[in-house]
Amino acid sequence: MPHVHRFADFVHELQQLEKASLATQGPSILDAFARHTRFDSGALYLRDTRGSGLRLAAKSLTCVAPEILDPNVRAEDAVLPSPAVVVALQSHRESVGVLALSTQAIDDSMEDDVAFVRTAAAFLSTLLTNQRLMQETREGDFQLKYRLWELESLYDIGLSIASTLNVDELADEILFRMISLTNARRAALYLREDGGFKLYRSFGDVREGFLEAELTEQLIREGKPLTFDGAAACLFPSCETFVAVPIRTGNNDQVIGVLAAADRETREGGIGAFEENELRLLSLFGNQVAIALENARLHRDALEKQVMERELELAATIQRDILPKAIPQIDGVEIAALSRPARQVGGDYHAFFVREGVITALVADVAGKSMPAALLVSALHAVLQLLFAEGREIGEIATELNRHIHNWSAENKFVTMVMVSIDREHETLQYVNAGHNPAYLISGGNIDTIKSHGLPIGILSGTRYVTQTRAFPAGSAVVLYSDGITEAEDMDGNEFDNPRLEALLQQNIDCGAAVIRDQIAQAVDAFVDEAPQKDDETLVIVRRA
Amino acid sequence: MGETMTDELRVAVDRRGASGAVLYTKGYINNVGGEEIANRAYELMDDGVRTLLLNLRETKIVNSIGISILIEIIEKMIDKGGKIGFCSLTPVIHKTFQIMGLANYASIYTDEENAAKELDM
Repeated sequence: MPHVHRFADFVHELQQLEKASLATQGPSILDAFARHTRFDSGALYLRDTRGSGLRLAAKSLTCVAPEILDPNVRAEDAVLPSPAVVVALQSHRESVGVLALSTQAIDDSMEDDVAFVRTAAAFLSTLLTNQRLMQETREGDFQLKYRLWELESLYDIGLSIASTLNVDELADEILFRMISLTNARRAALYLREDGGFKLYRSFGDVREGFLEAELTEQLIREGKPLTFDGAAACLFPSCETFVAVPIRTGNNDQVIGVLAAADRETREGGIGAFEENELRLLSLFGNQVAIALENARLHRDALEKQVMERELELAATIQRDILPKAIPQIDGVEIAALSRPARQVGGDYHAFFVREGVITALVADVAGKSMPAALLVSALHAVLQLLFAEGREIGEIATELNRHIHNWSAENKFVTMVMVSIDREHETLQYVNAGHNPAYLISGGNIDTIKSHGLPIGILSGTRYVTQTRAFPAGSAVVLYSDGITEAEDMDGNEFDNPRLEALLQQNIDCGAAVIRDQIAQAVDAFVDEAPQKDDETLVIVRRA
Repeated sequence: MGETMTDELRVAVDRRGASGAVLYTKGYINNVGGEEIANRAYELMDDGVRTLLLNLRETKIVNSIGISILIEIIEKMIDKGGKIGFCSLTPVIHKTFQIMGLANYASIYTDEENAAKELDM
């Protein structure tokens, strides 16, 4: 076959090898040289893509050749049997390999074959260089895209700040992204709890519990990622490499958690140390995570507050609905009432009952606030409606009420209550004061108090309340109130107190019930000024014409 | 309470006729997981499969080494004149595939039903 045809066939075969990876093409190249030339044995060295040395890519069975070609040793001396021709595979940039070929059929026409080999080797050099450049371009493209992806991940975590407010979902996303970013095999997220950092989420084999105090202190002190190699006793059992990053909030520089990852994979299939650029990336990632976690925490707090406010609103509604919608209209009796619930619902209650011309007014104050207090007020209201409907006298009602409240309500729940019944026919005022503030009785130009004569309702199950009686002639008035009136505080924390209330009553001793109510309300408002209302304020005034 | 997720990858195969298959992955597509997928994919290619769908419904994480292995699988299938599709990706993995260029050589579908229809499996 003419040389030119042989060479064309050979080049075509080499071109077909271009698609094969560098790692697998060595034997095919050597085989092509054996079939197209008279050199039937030898060795091929190609430059290692991971290093700078020449690594054995292929050798014939009869050939002895070292795995790595020492740069100080000639191929003629390193390969056995000693090759008849050695060609450096060289591009304009660098050496890409060495081809050492032998033959047993040495004769005078060898020169042509050597020239043939050298020409084919030159073509092979260009082919290998092109292949290497293509691979480098692809790897460069991959690395570029990978950096873009890293930046996108940081950006996405930033976006999660706005979209993921559930800490559990956020924790998963943080872990997944950290593992992807670092090529780690295992990872863990620790959050501050009980003065330490407790495992919150993990991926792979991770020890449960808290981070070691020593590591925690070091992370807080240094405030930057810490790496360890061969960390046998670390939180990832049997890990080879390990990194931990503090999650530090920007506003008060507090470490709120720790991100940790272990066993960074390398492209070669092994485990490598976490590199400097990965530590920088993790630091940035930690900052984004801090903001995301803080945001989720604030959102959770806001939700809890919202729930509490809804509860308060519901409690206020319950309380509002059971308070009298209208004041009873009875000839010869003027009644005025005031009910101002505090923002945080308390347990003030007032009610009116009219039975056979006898009007009963009561003011009660349930211990506690919010929903529990509102529910007790609701129970109090229901029991009172039933007991009054049964026609019992007020001492008996208080006794029975005490028994019910004590049995039904939770421990430490009690009610102070003052109850007055005005009988115009007999001109008497009957009352029961169960641990409540003293009420005021205005009669004949004098102000007298109606003090407590029994324990608050609900303290002891067997308590009996005995109805007390006073004279209540025409023109007399009775003033019932809750401690929200007398304990209303001004800006300096001073209480309105009973002497001020008594002085007001004295000043308005002959006034109607509505006037007395308004005077007290105005005086309390003026005293309190801009100070917030701390407790429910209830006022009931009944005056005989 | 701390919550632990596994790092192992599991692969299951469902043949669809002589030249089609769906490969289901569960777990982390890293070096180890990627190699596991590659081995199964190459076995299928050697067995005549030319349309391969990778259902990643139960995979939440993929790293750069896993991605480079997936690219090798795609290239190998293209060399053989076949095609590869991915379906049921998490939003994060979907975005990762787009950035890393996998979407240029393989089709991405929302779910398996849609993918099977489009790939004619």
